[in-house]
Amino acid sequence: MRWSLWHLFSNRVAFLLLLVPIVALILGQMSPWFLTLDNLLGMTQFGAVLALLGMGQTLVIVGGGAGIDLSIGAILSLTGVILGLLVRAGVNVWLAALMSILFAGLLGMGNGLVVTRLRLPPLIATLGTMYAYGAIALVITRGFPISGFPPEFAFLGQEYIFDLIPAQVLLVVVPAWIVLHYIVRYTRFGREVYLVGTNERAAALSGINVQAVRTWLYTLAGVLAGLGAVINSSWLFSARPDVGNNMELQAITVAVLGGASMLGGEGSLTGTMLAVLILTMVSSGLQLANVPVIWQLAVQGGILLGAVAFNQALALRAARERGVRL
Amino acid sequence: MDRWIAGLGRRELLTILLLAVEVVLFSLLTDNFLTASNLFSVLRNSAEVALVAIGMTIVMILGGIDISVGSALGVAAILVSRVVLAQGHPLVAVAVGLSAGLLIGAVNGLLVSKARIVPIIATLGTMYILRAAVFGMLGGQWITGLAPIVPAVTASTVFGLPSAFVFVLVFYAGFWYVLTYTRFGRYVHQVGNNPEAAQLAGINANQVRIISFALLGALTGVASILYVSRMGGVEITVGATLPIRAIAASVVGGVAVTGGRGTLVGTLAGVLFIDTMRNGIVLLGVPSLWEQFVVGVLIVVAVALDLAFEKREERRRVLERFRLRTARVGGPL
Repeated sequence: MRWSLWHLFSNRVAFLLLLVPIVALILGQMSPWFLTLDNLLGMTQFGAVLALLGMGQTLVIVGGGAGIDLSIGAILSLTGVILGLLVRAGVNVWLAALMSILFAGLLGMGNGLVVTRLRLPPLIATLGTMYAYGAIALVITRGFPISGFPPEFAFLGQEYIFDLIPAQVLLVVVPAWIVLHYIVRYTRFGREVYLVGTNERAAALSGINVQAVRTWLYTLAGVLAGLGAVINSSWLFSARPDVGNNMELQAITVAVLGGASMLGGEGSLTGTMLAVLILTMVSSGLQLANVPVIWQLAVQGGILLGAVAFNQALALRAARERGVRL
Repeated sequence: MDRWIAGLGRRELLTILLLAVEVVLFSLLTDNFLTASNLFSVLRNSAEVALVAIGMTIVMILGGIDISVGSALGVAAILVSRVVLAQGHPLVAVAVGLSAGLLIGAVNGLLVSKARIVPIIATLGTMYILRAAVFGMLGGQWITGLAPIVPAVTASTVFGLPSAFVFVLVFYAGFWYVLTYTRFGRYVHQVGNNPEAAQLAGINANQVRIISFALLGALTGVASILYVSRMGGVEITVGATLPIRAIAASVVGGVAVTGGRGTLVGTLAGVLFIDTMRNGIVLLGVPSLWEQFVVGVLIVVAVALDLAFEKREERRRVLERFRLRTARVGGPL
């Protein structure tokens, strides 16, 4: 195979790795505070929840069968509310956190069962559960936020390790990434996920229980959303029933920006983490440069469309150079 | 017996039946449901979703989806109100709303067909950009106190029915004709069923996609005019639930999420079913916070039922074919 720049940067991870310093330099020009170690490490706290949701979303999309999970934002909201209620009822906060993560896993498993047992298209199944989970969160709180977390709970979301790195990033997000990366790369389940996503029939014929693999992926996405709810509650120190609104769309954005293909079988956790890094840099950089918050939405949309279209064009060109007819 | 109205299959009958059951139930359970003023308000308020759902059904038959329609409606509605604020002629306002919607839809169509971005991602991107435009153009303030632009449509009655509903019916009839009897309608179904085969059969699939998304945009533009006329302004949350309601109505009405199948009769029944439900549960005294829960469960149940029916139908067809074959060779005896 001939080597060329097209080939290199039609690989999404390489493309994003190139994009990170470019974005950093542009934002550094816009604000002198952006390129300081304090800011670069401190801003990662804004991407912590999104990283957890994005990794779950990526794995669901990679698992194929038109996989997508629109309900993880609602799971984030509902789990936070449950955590708040447990703490208010006198349960130790760390025990409550563990219980609510398990609860989030059950919600995710509910999605998985609706998709695999009832055979509903994931888009519709999780649209339905997004409504249902979100409504339960609203109903049990009557729309009001729950507060009253004990002071020691703030450690997870508001402290810095070595006075530099936000605790939720170093103690939750990075370990979660390492564990998931290990599962995806070095375990049988990880290989099954990609095979199921690439070719469902071949996977089934080689003895893989396709539906079980997918059910576990939705469960995993739920668990990650639950983990997100815990650090989010610690960060905001309250549980709002609408806190996860639109987070599912952001999670899809980072998964796709990170290279996940909606057709399944393609995508990587590293790509998703780089995408989270880029979006987080952009939104905090624009804030430092005093750009009104509303334009961040537009920039986010522009990056999504631009990056995917550009990358697709590169991939097409690379394929054509290899002589693949499209 | 299978088809006693052209184009009306069993799937739509199921939705119509569900709608009838729902109307009877709410009439029996509440005092205020079966009053002219309540039914009129349901029909009037569903007009915008009903229009957008036409386009959504076409795009979904193609195998696509559009989640940017709510923000697109917002941008078009703001442009329309700017014209009204500047004392422009109502016809100018209508033209502006329509062309804004058409343009946005065409851009979505280009992203999906030419840039080859999956519909849900392409429209997610445009949704972000359009939503930012809504916030930016409104600048934190609602537009209020506008006189109705098209009072003949939004605030009067024809043949004893709210004219907004009659207006919607005319659109449904027109697009039902287009989808059922014209070449474009056939192309939409063929591309939705099997894009490669359609392309090989000489259909310009990309052109069909662009036109369909542009039609959805234009219908959203029309809906934006009704919105401004009905509300007398634009709220900051304009269109927030619109895409999901339009998708839900199509799905409850029998549009296959995988593309290739769906009818406007079913979609209209789906729109009315969902809006009647939203109205009815409030009248029942259920806290409105439960509304979303009901709609969510409804979507899952409707599609699950749909799939169960389809499976039975499939089994029946296979059995029939088997019987025919055994009969032809003289049967097993």
